[in-house]
Amino acid sequence: MEGKYTLELFAEKKGLTKNSALNLLSKLKKQGYITVSGGGKQKRIYTIYKTPQEQANGFYTIVNKYSPEKLVPKFKHIVKGKYTVERAIIDGIKIGDVRTLTATEHLFRHLKNWKLLFDLAKKNKVIGKLHLLYKSARKNTKTKTMPKRYEK
Amino acid sequence: MIDIKDQEQLLKLISNLLKEDIVCTAIGGTAMMFLGYKETTKDIDLVFNDEKERQIFIEAIKEIGYKEKSLSGIYDQEHREHKKRPKMFSRGDERFDLFLKDVFGYKLGKKFIERRDFIGKKELIVYVLSEEELILLKGITGREKDYEDIETIMNTNKEIDWDLIVDNAIKQKTSNSWILIDLEENLQKLKEKFFIPHQIFDKIHQAEGKV
Repeated sequence: MEGKYTLELFAEKKGLTKNSALNLLSKLKKQGYITVSGGGKQKRIYTIYKTPQEQANGFYTIVNKYSPEKLVPKFKHIVKGKYTVERAIIDGIKIGDVRTLTATEHLFRHLKNWKLLFDLAKKNKVIGKLHLLYKSARKNTKTKTMPKRYEK
Repeated sequence: MIDIKDQEQLLKLISNLLKEDIVCTAIGGTAMMFLGYKETTKDIDLVFNDEKERQIFIEAIKEIGYKEKSLSGIYDQEHREHKKRPKMFSRGDERFDLFLKDVFGYKLGKKFIERRDFIGKKELIVYVLSEEELILLKGITGREKDYEDIETIMNTNKEIDWDLIVDNAIKQKTSNSWILIDLEENLQKLKEKFFIPHQIFDKIHQAEGKV
């Protein structure tokens, strides 16, 4: 039963009325087997999985929220705790391919804590790469200005 | 027994007790729970990249009352005497099996399909291996229930890449001489319930030098 369905298609496949199908979809959603996209003016699409899915909330969720250049996740990233734009920039640098870096540039605009960013960069030994990414972000995107004390 | 919620809360708690950020890889029941194949597991199996990180983790779990246990009763003699055996810690009926770099000679691949970050005072990053590597690993740990876990994965996931599993096993046969034999034994058992293409067995036999 895996795959994408509309309510009508799901009801037809299962041989159920629309109401019964909706009840079943809602039950499966609560158990984590279904994610829903759309709603409002858009038609809802139900994606059914073979195992219960936990919603990703890590790097790719942040990048795809803020960057106009969307990325297809290379892995599912789930975070327990506070995952911020600062951490996402460091993860983007560590993933390191061109597409990821280009998308990560857009996160500088949403940066709130330069100190945290530089502490994380120091811990992960990517300060040089962070400066390079920032320079490129300044050229290509609208970016907050780096405080003088962090400039190279 | 520990369920997914307990496991996540425990790892979050540990992230608050760590002295430094660490990275590890989840295998076995832990990985199966993260991927949604299981609801509970007896033990949390983790593989660390270096002894320093394993030691930091051990210090954190000791703080919450985990004590080192002998491997007897869990692993057979061959595994207990293996130089790449894990360190085992338990508290009540919860248990950690902590491996270093590899699992009984099996070197983990660099490809993972999920990453879980537990951000407390420090950061605990847990990578989760693919189903194919989990099946291969389940075949070499030789514990009770491991075969059942392979069946659980197979019952849910019909798109297992057998070629990838056999290729991985072949790559590792020099460091783990039993890997192909263990794999074939499991596949023969699985064949009674699931469809496994005969080319997969041919490939194993070829690598074993039987043909």
